[in-house]
Amino acid sequence: MRILIAGAGEVGYHVAKLLDNEKQNIFIIDENQHHLDRIDTNLDAVTIKGDATSPEVLLQGEVSKADLLISVTSSQANNLNIAMLGKKLGAKKTIARISNIAYFDRKFGIDFKEMGIDKLISPEMLAAEEIYSLVKQPYFTNYMAFDNGLLHLAGIRLDDRCLLSGKFITETEHLNPDRSFLPVAIRKVKDTIIPRGDTKFEIGDYVYFISKPEGLDRIIHLTGRDEMKVRNVMIMGGSRVGRHTARMLSSNYKVKLIELDEKRCFDISDEQPNIMVIRGDGRDTDLLEEESIREMDAFLSVTGNPATNIMACLTAKNYGVEKTIALVETGDDVQISKAIGIDTLINKKLIAASNIFQYIRQGKVLNMSGLVGMNAELLEFEVSKGDPITRAPLKELKFPKGALIGGAVRNHEAIITLGNFQAQPGDHIVVFSLPHCIQQVEKFFR
Amino acid sequence: MKLNYKVIASFLGSLLGFNALFMLACLVASYYYQDESWDALWKSIGITMACAIVLFAIGRGHQKNISKKEAYLVVTLGWILMTLSGCLPYIFNGDIPSFASAVFETMSGYTTTGASVLTDIEAVDKGILLWRSTTHWIGGMGIIVLTIAILPILGIGGMQLFNAESPGLKADKINPRITGTAKRLWALYFLLTLLETVLLKYSGMGWFDALNHAFSTMSTGGFSTKNASIMHYDYNQAIQWIIIVFMFVAGMNFALTYFAFVGNFKKIIHDHEFRFYATVVLVGALVSTAVVWIQETSPGWNFPFRDSLFQVVAVVTTTGFVSADMTLDPLLSTIFFMLLFAGGMTGSTAGGIKSVRHLLIFRNSWMEFKRLLHPNAVLPIRLNKAAVRGRVTFNIMAFVIIYFLIFAFSSLTMSLLGEDFMTSIGVAASCLGNVGPALGSASPVGNYASISEAGKLFLSFIMLVGRLELFTVLILFTPFYWRKY
Repeated sequence: MRILIAGAGEVGYHVAKLLDNEKQNIFIIDENQHHLDRIDTNLDAVTIKGDATSPEVLLQGEVSKADLLISVTSSQANNLNIAMLGKKLGAKKTIARISNIAYFDRKFGIDFKEMGIDKLISPEMLAAEEIYSLVKQPYFTNYMAFDNGLLHLAGIRLDDRCLLSGKFITETEHLNPDRSFLPVAIRKVKDTIIPRGDTKFEIGDYVYFISKPEGLDRIIHLTGRDEMKVRNVMIMGGSRVGRHTARMLSSNYKVKLIELDEKRCFDISDEQPNIMVIRGDGRDTDLLEEESIREMDAFLSVTGNPATNIMACLTAKNYGVEKTIALVETGDDVQISKAIGIDTLINKKLIAASNIFQYIRQGKVLNMSGLVGMNAELLEFEVSKGDPITRAPLKELKFPKGALIGGAVRNHEAIITLGNFQAQPGDHIVVFSLPHCIQQVEKFFR
Repeated sequence: MKLNYKVIASFLGSLLGFNALFMLACLVASYYYQDESWDALWKSIGITMACAIVLFAIGRGHQKNISKKEAYLVVTLGWILMTLSGCLPYIFNGDIPSFASAVFETMSGYTTTGASVLTDIEAVDKGILLWRSTTHWIGGMGIIVLTIAILPILGIGGMQLFNAESPGLKADKINPRITGTAKRLWALYFLLTLLETVLLKYSGMGWFDALNHAFSTMSTGGFSTKNASIMHYDYNQAIQWIIIVFMFVAGMNFALTYFAFVGNFKKIIHDHEFRFYATVVLVGALVSTAVVWIQETSPGWNFPFRDSLFQVVAVVTTTGFVSADMTLDPLLSTIFFMLLFAGGMTGSTAGGIKSVRHLLIFRNSWMEFKRLLHPNAVLPIRLNKAAVRGRVTFNIMAFVIIYFLIFAFSSLTMSLLGEDFMTSIGVAASCLGNVGPALGSASPVGNYASISEAGKLFLSFIMLVGRLELFTVLILFTPFYWRKY
């Protein structure tokens, strides 16, 4: 596949990196030499210096042969422009990054496809959605639902409250009699492993479970997080992410939003009557106390400055806020977040990159996403007739050791897959795989 | 900055020409009814036209652009000049020989106040009576233009809420051009007047009375062609209810009425100001009904609820028609005295403080408590979902404070001019709010005839100040206005 990326900033870089793992042909355009240097040293891609809004530059990137044009510069107007130009110049598919979420609103009925843009993505919106789902499922550090909520993926850190710690997986099976969930990836100090029967749960491990809806409660119970309930949420920073998050949360939670800029405070308050906007610096402990930080169940720090966000979350933790989420610019390592004591670090650009990646893998692969904080990927396949996977029950297939089939959806019913599961055409199958096994896994589905 | 006198002159000239045209219409009525006002009207038309021509001549070759400064002067001078021309028929026909009284009656007409010095209205010539109601109707048209086109530009007393200031209210714009909006609202005003005339006619009034009352109602004026005002039709339920409904509509924002007219009722129902206005009217009527029932000190209230509703609507919309005397009972007097300060909705022909200002002040006061608890919180007050900027709130508070200061000052002046306490505060509140009936000697069954000449001229001025939303007139008395830079 030939892919042309306009904009080598953080989103562009991460998309390129994910595509590089897949051995795709990547062309990347940026005006900033530093950005290009970073790509040149780390990835196998063709870099082009220039303004991507200009047709000559796009043609240099061989846009006419491109299967996909991804426009992720920092300017929304440029991105739309590049995508439309690219399409006219022959790109098969185009993706544009936008910041104004009104473009997603169906009520305006704008046909972006007709304009030459196949997909719009907004990193801010994706980050806000991620934060929202984490506040809704506060027990988990990472959470995602797929296949219309039939299957859930929950990441959780094991601490001393956890009933599983210190036990081998085989020893914990009696705690999960009806097989409503399954651990699918574990991060030990530095390495990500796909769990086997002889893997041991330890305090400090970061574990991803795949689960049926009814299994979530059991996971929450087994990991000792029963009493957590979020009602009051404090958001620091009236950035786009903060505003989107506040909007989503405001119908079910009591939201306080702290923002320094007076004009912005007024605008947010104007736009969102249901939340209380506080003008001030979120790092100011007096202010936090005055606005009853101790009563808060979740503290989300989403200013444009990652250092501020981390500091603010630490302050909040110190006041006993159970759930803290910080928006960061680079990396989202769970080990770091654990080391510094923040529940989740959200990197909107990384989220956007995986979202784009998911779009690229569409077709046979229904869903694909990097597991946050893990060096592992989730892939969801649709099984067709004659796929090697259908030949025998799982335990008889030579499935790679670095991968695991975690769950399946058959006729709108979720199944947690064990050794004697045999795939049938039409099933949706969720696979967890270490990166080097992905290609082996894919062989089972064609 | 030098004032562009030419444009002012030409503008005033066209206003007078307009006035003369309306007088001509009254002349037709005078001819039709064969009354004695023919000569007086002719003379008035002649003088008015002559003045208009002189002003046009002065303003020849003016530059079209008119600045904010000139707008203030044009509006105030316009109302004064219209009054001076409009009082001529009363003087020439000998109905109101005194200049001060004639000015008072005319100003009361143009400002849609409806306070009268005439003691025997029914004896006056029909041509003159029609002219009297017509001054209301012209005043109402003036107010529509003033509120939609001029005040928002001048930014007076929170009126810029109609402007692009607040995003939530932008949709109030009926037409992108101000002249387009004015034309549509005038058409609506005209249609409503016509409709009311026809309805009144078929409910038992003569064409003449129907037209006059329609003029008075739609402009929220209050001049009646009957000595006993609407009490004259006490047993004609249809007339009473028609007038109640039309007064209520006239007290509504014309832009909203327009939207209802083109089928968008949702806009009205969801409008916060409308809800407040309707609530005040309804609660006022219920309280008044209760008082009338319980106290039993108000004879002549044959239909307590209808009379209460009528009186509350008449006072809140600042129309000032009378269908029952509300000053017989002390408690009722107090309630209605307070209602003199209510006012209808912005963008209507009603005067007074107006609903939106009351509403925002209530909300702001309420929010002040929350602000004390959360000193760092940004807690703007809201109107129709949009947050109101602090500057608008200050402007509105300034308006209300100045309103009450002027009320205090006028009451004091009236007392100094020899009126008793009740009359003084009554006429001050009533004239400032452009209502009409007051307390004491100017009570609903009395009138303003007994007030001194000086008092009448002073009250004429107060009516003008109240009508033009205070700032428009008062700014002319500030040194900043006349400074050249």
